[in-house]
Amino acid sequence: MKPTRRRFLLGAAALLPLPFVARRFHGLAVRALDPALLRAMAAAILPGELGTDGLERATTEFERWLTGYREGAEVLHGYGSGEIHYAGPSPALKWSSQLAELDAAARKIHGAPFANRSRPERQELVRAALGGVSAGGLPQVDRAPHIALGLLAHFYSSTVAQDLCYDARIGNGTCRPLADSPKRPLPLKQPG
Amino acid sequence: MPRFVVESDVCIIGSGISAAMVAERLAGERNAAIVVVEAGEETDRPAARPALRRRYLEYGESPWTRDHLEGYEVPGIQSRSMQVGGLAMHWGGVTPRFSPEDFKVRSLYGVGTDWPISYDDLDPWYQEAEERIGVAGAQGPPDLDPRGRPFPQAALPLTYNLKLLQEWAAKAGIPMWSQPSAKNSAPYRGRPACCRNDTCFPVCPIGAKYSPDFTWDALRKAGRVRLIPRTVVRRLHADGPSGRITRATALDRASGQEVEFRAKTFVVAGGYVWSSHLLLCSAGGRYPTGLANGSGLVGRYLTGHRNVNGYVSLPLQLFPGMNEQHSLVTKKFMRVPRGDRYLRHDLRIWESSVGREPRLADQTGRLLLGDDLLADWRRRAATGAARVRAYYDVIPDRDSALTLGPRKTAWGDPLPQLDFRDAPESASLREGSEAAIRALFREMARAGGGELLSARSDPFQDHPAGGCRMGSDPSTSVTDAWGRTHDHENLFVAGAPTSVTGGCANGTLTFCALSLRTAAEIGKEFPKR
Repeated sequence: MKPTRRRFLLGAAALLPLPFVARRFHGLAVRALDPALLRAMAAAILPGELGTDGLERATTEFERWLTGYREGAEVLHGYGSGEIHYAGPSPALKWSSQLAELDAAARKIHGAPFANRSRPERQELVRAALGGVSAGGLPQVDRAPHIALGLLAHFYSSTVAQDLCYDARIGNGTCRPLADSPKRPLPLKQPG
Repeated sequence: MPRFVVESDVCIIGSGISAAMVAERLAGERNAAIVVVEAGEETDRPAARPALRRRYLEYGESPWTRDHLEGYEVPGIQSRSMQVGGLAMHWGGVTPRFSPEDFKVRSLYGVGTDWPISYDDLDPWYQEAEERIGVAGAQGPPDLDPRGRPFPQAALPLTYNLKLLQEWAAKAGIPMWSQPSAKNSAPYRGRPACCRNDTCFPVCPIGAKYSPDFTWDALRKAGRVRLIPRTVVRRLHADGPSGRITRATALDRASGQEVEFRAKTFVVAGGYVWSSHLLLCSAGGRYPTGLANGSGLVGRYLTGHRNVNGYVSLPLQLFPGMNEQHSLVTKKFMRVPRGDRYLRHDLRIWESSVGREPRLADQTGRLLLGDDLLADWRRRAATGAARVRAYYDVIPDRDSALTLGPRKTAWGDPLPQLDFRDAPESASLREGSEAAIRALFREMARAGGGELLSARSDPFQDHPAGGCRMGSDPSTSVTDAWGRTHDHENLFVAGAPTSVTGGCANGTLTFCALSLRTAAEIGKEFPKR
């Protein structure tokens, strides 16, 4: 899709918050997300020890997550409360624009596409883009104010990330034999 | 529109866990036609739960979007529960018993009201409830954790983390053991063993955790009950001279048709909110303040317990996520009040990752990206943390009450309003109680070479119950010790509403045990199978 047409559609979507319109534009915005740019950003901000395959898996999972997002879906009512809440607007519109803006910034500052810059340079571009974001804990994925934070939040809430941090096969949230639970989890790479 | 009539021997109103216990026991031992009426929808089939869980994990979506009725928003209600299976479709499956002292706080400590039954009276019913729902538990020290017979299932094994935390608690002089849970440690009654999916709340994807739909599915398949969903019972009607309940009138929400239920015995099993609500909504004629309300106590003495929840950092290497929803428990502090003030509480410990989560910036405020973020997380996760929580006993006030409010349902019935209040003796102790529990947490942290990171209390009373409390004196209670209302010989209230106090632990197993007693009493009216 041409950038001008994409900008027009995204602008139109922002003006039309009706749920059915939002669903249509969510799909459109997901498709507008540049896969190569997303991967270039992922390689800059996710841990390098994931390796090429691990980075690809993390990025693909993030894309799958975004595709599956359902604006307005009923979210779990919190413990101790009967109030019903619903999922907020799709972040896809905002995120696809932000990704494009990273590329535009790279071209402006370095005279070259984002994906062609070194890892430290890409990190600096992301840092600059996150300049106004208050840094603390990672946000809830769908509420991430920037696509870089969305990707980080998505990856670091995963079983893969936790196992990587602890260098242990914890497998949080997966079906695991009850009988293994008293044992210390095995390291990710077994000796020998 | 003509009225549709449904006749039965026993009409159970509500389909939550208490209703399931009543129905299963009656259906198993008596020849009685049982009809169950549920205002909410059918629940999603077990086969759908893995996908619903996935959406919950990835997007926070509710696996139970049909557990509430439009227009039934009630401020103060703890959780939505109108569906086949009720609130226990999304409970955590934690099933401690109350302690013997919970039933006689007036006799022992001079506060509150004694129950009309003792722990020993309830012990066989606890056992039966544990067998029906499949509780896995460890026998605690017998003086702290008395029971007539062993648990029906071996305890859920302590994870590597919980074993380390158990050793820590022992250093603080606190014996702790595996929390009893309605989660299978081995295949049980056609349901598989737990495999630590760790989403017991809100949804177990494999059915290792008990939920009432399993009971309903079995009873319906065997043709032992007729369960009618989407039908709101609006009013019970009593015969003037005898006081017997003759019928319940209801609305089929799907068709808008009025339905009349006729039965020999009626059981109100709508939990702590909708049971009292129905009795109050049934006011009229000889009963201007509602049915079963000769004492004026229907809706009153709503009860529960408060908590203090804390996080402790410890110099232990833990691996969060091994079975996060399972905990250690002790009853040490339920037995004897500590110090010179009335304070009884339980104590639990869970693994935790608090303070060890990945973060975006280090302590200098530098944004962390790439390898730096992971390295920072690893440094902070090198030592562990535990979550500690104590539920402490709250004596309910007479004015801790459910009343009918000004807001109406779509069909014109008043909605309830809830106002939980501590009795004056509990209110005056609250600050000191919570300070004493925080001090205990600090002592525990010191014993483990750690630090109490935070401690706070929820603003609500947890595990709510009451509203139709049981007792021997009709002037101070709504039902007798079997759940039979004092004013209507064929009207029973099952489970949570009949609780006199909320104890210091989750009430669901106690509600199940009380419901089984109620079923046994109802069963006397019908021939054995």
